[in-house]
Amino acid sequence: MTEFKPKEKYKHLNKLGDIILQCISCGDCREAADYTSEPQKWGVCVARDHTSGFEAFFGRGKMQIIRSLWQGKLELSKDLGEVMYQCPTCNACAETCAYDMDNAAIYEALRAELIDAGCGLEAHVPMNKAMVELLNPYERDNKQKKDWLGKLDFKIKDATKEKVDVLYFVGCTAALTPEIQTVAINTAKVLKKLDIDFSVYGEFEVCCGSVAKRTGDLNVFNSVATKNFELFKKSGVKTIVTSCAGCYRTLKVDYMDYMEDLVIEVLHTIEFIHKIINEQEFQLKHLGITATYHDPCHTGRNVGVKEDINPLYEEPREILRKIVNLVEMKTIKENTKCCGAGGGVKKGFPELALEIAKSRVKEAEDTRAQYLVSICPFCYRNLSDAIEDLNLNMKMVDLMELIYQALS
Amino acid sequence: MSKVKNAYKEIENVVGSDFITDKDFMKAAYSRNVDPAFPDRWADMIVRPESTEEVSEIVKIANKYKIHMVPRGGGADLVGGSVSEGGILLDLTRMNNILEINETDFYCVVETGITWGNLISQLHDKGLTTGVLGPGSGFSATIGGGLSNSTAGFGSTKYGVVPDICLGVEVVLPNPQGTIIRTGAAANRYAKPFCRYGVAPDFTGLFMGDVGSMGIKTKAFLKLYPETPFKAQRYYMLHRNDYNKVYELMNKLRKEVRDGLHDVLVVPLIVIQLLASMVENKPIKRPRLKGPVFSIMVEAVDERILNVYLEKVNEIMKEEARLFEWQEIDTEATLSKDWKFELKYAYNYFNKYISIAPPKISCTTCHKIPISDLPKIAQLSAEFENKHRNELPLGSISLFATVIFLLPNGNCVIVGGFNADNVDEQREKSMELWHKKLRHQVKYGGVHYWLGEAISQSIVEADAYTPEFITFFKDMKKAVDPNFLLSPKKFHMYSYDHDISTHIVKEKE
Repeated sequence: MTEFKPKEKYKHLNKLGDIILQCISCGDCREAADYTSEPQKWGVCVARDHTSGFEAFFGRGKMQIIRSLWQGKLELSKDLGEVMYQCPTCNACAETCAYDMDNAAIYEALRAELIDAGCGLEAHVPMNKAMVELLNPYERDNKQKKDWLGKLDFKIKDATKEKVDVLYFVGCTAALTPEIQTVAINTAKVLKKLDIDFSVYGEFEVCCGSVAKRTGDLNVFNSVATKNFELFKKSGVKTIVTSCAGCYRTLKVDYMDYMEDLVIEVLHTIEFIHKIINEQEFQLKHLGITATYHDPCHTGRNVGVKEDINPLYEEPREILRKIVNLVEMKTIKENTKCCGAGGGVKKGFPELALEIAKSRVKEAEDTRAQYLVSICPFCYRNLSDAIEDLNLNMKMVDLMELIYQALS
Repeated sequence: MSKVKNAYKEIENVVGSDFITDKDFMKAAYSRNVDPAFPDRWADMIVRPESTEEVSEIVKIANKYKIHMVPRGGGADLVGGSVSEGGILLDLTRMNNILEINETDFYCVVETGITWGNLISQLHDKGLTTGVLGPGSGFSATIGGGLSNSTAGFGSTKYGVVPDICLGVEVVLPNPQGTIIRTGAAANRYAKPFCRYGVAPDFTGLFMGDVGSMGIKTKAFLKLYPETPFKAQRYYMLHRNDYNKVYELMNKLRKEVRDGLHDVLVVPLIVIQLLASMVENKPIKRPRLKGPVFSIMVEAVDERILNVYLEKVNEIMKEEARLFEWQEIDTEATLSKDWKFELKYAYNYFNKYISIAPPKISCTTCHKIPISDLPKIAQLSAEFENKHRNELPLGSISLFATVIFLLPNGNCVIVGGFNADNVDEQREKSMELWHKKLRHQVKYGGVHYWLGEAISQSIVEADAYTPEFITFFKDMKKAVDPNFLLSPKKFHMYSYDHDISTHIVKEKE
């Protein structure tokens, strides 16, 4: 009989070391509720809450499955993949865990094993293929990424032609989704208003590869990451600002080694603008509206839990308190309930993504706010879909839109 | 088709195809709890019923095909209680609703799959509490699991163990009829479930600490208390590592502070030294660590009364101990004056120590003793450890007479155990020593609470039960479970014909 060698068989999991066997199976990652924590915690795993809820749908079960694979008691399969991909990798499980675990990283490694074994999700194949061939996951002509620029009454410098220190990395969702182009438009307007000299790649912007990384397609991720590395190097940018939480996490964390080599600072636009507004004492007018704020996982837990990077919880709130009447939802900051779009769920399981978003929107509705605000085009998209499906009067906005109004 | 496949089809018709599975990876996900000393066990199928009626139908089908069943709550147990080799594993966490919070009569009705953290957090909104907060795994542990394990936890010094707050239960008996009964006041069809005794014999007790072997608890009726608004925490380090003094002080605290005590916990010197060596931000000044630390939480309805309690505690402790602050060993620790009650303190205090360095097996030996036995038990534990040191797996850490937790009247819990590397070679050795230690505890008169498989079997192995008791136990089980289908293997029961006395272990001197 051939000896079973997990380290050779599961090379992606092996890279993470002993931590893949650390879970003690306490189950806190299922649904912990804690009125004494600040902020309060009311549940953990949104995937578990909106599926049949078997253990395999949340952290503990996934960790036991990984252990069983590692010990040669279980094989990878399509069925397993089907369940493993019903997780938005929001990392609420890591947030609640007593150990120093980055669960999302472990799930991503498992997904990479599934892809290698031919057990990935069929729905993700065209998306990841398009990322390499078309440079975006939406299977569109990348030239459309410049369309939003035509809606501005000013010109933005082309990063492929002019050397500018600050690059605005728009991201595929805001650039290619007509109803979400307002995120890019308002970001550009705010940057202009604040007199920032910045550039964009327009039709040459390459997807950051976030969704490939989250879905475990590392060949695709490495392909786009390498292209971006070359672009950044050639452009000589010093600071990249992005209005997309997914791009932010990817450029900040997953590209960390690249960025350190190139000495590039990565900031979310809110982080960037918050600093400028404070330093230069820009006056923001109060808009007289009531709004609640949704924390994207990729500016919160997915950078803040284990990566030693400050999560962006206070910056958007500080701005919001100046311009709106901010009312908070039941779950916020590190204990925020995910919108359900991430980790390839929106593409692979759109109904599940919508159900999770509806439950988040209902939390927002409970605050009686007129506006639901976020800083991520992907959260924007999923939460908007939920608002529409629930036929609510609440309006979804990106914080940049409100900042632009407050600056005008 | 095999009987398992037939049963699967019929259960699928009851719960729907979304809530039953026999996929291998799903079985793997349920193959262990916090009990890695056990080998993995895969059930034939896992079912997530939504209601008592569904549970009853599943029980009927299990009886029809003679397939065994194991109920499972939060799956947070440490002693092999809620995993199943073959058979039907009933995941009850879908039954997690609060059905009634009666603010005027101070009781609540809940489905047993709700977690302690969820129930207590929701009760807090109404200024209520269950008193005892459930086990140390309360963020995931369920009410049903707490009842089945007669668990102690934070609040137990004042409010007792979990069954002490139970006014009755709704249970599906594992018989061919899938009979549903209610106990306590709820056995009276006209009564609210507001009290436990007076309708019939205390049949609630039959299902407390039964480790899921007598019935499947689907609802619980629990006592509620108004939350006590004023709480404070103080720590005292004993001048000497002397368990005679620990006993004397516990006795005095119980006698003189009484209901003011919410929790009294004694952390032994060795644990404090261990914690001091583990902290990241050590103080510049080397701490003077000479004895165990008393962690005393008091509560009162009025701040003035709270201060009286604190004075009283100080009066009792001052001769034998000094005030202690955790900042003496960890610069980031909170000072007791800034302390505030946190569920995380109650529910996460042991999780992070189970597997200090990955990955470990944990063999817990927590049990109860009368407090007057403390000095003797501390001595016996030390002797056991010396005698069997060579049997401990290589590199394991043992803490046998460790954290002590005061319960009502003269009870206390001794928390302890040992760990080992989570590899097959150490598993068998660990199991052997674990059972040996448990038998040792049973023989010096220790009484356990979570029994699961490891401890319930060790009690039998220690020859604790008289033949008459075993006959009575089997007769009681036979009355509710005539086909012997619910939670086999516990108490070394494998069938009604099986002679459990064959498992008695004669210890080698």
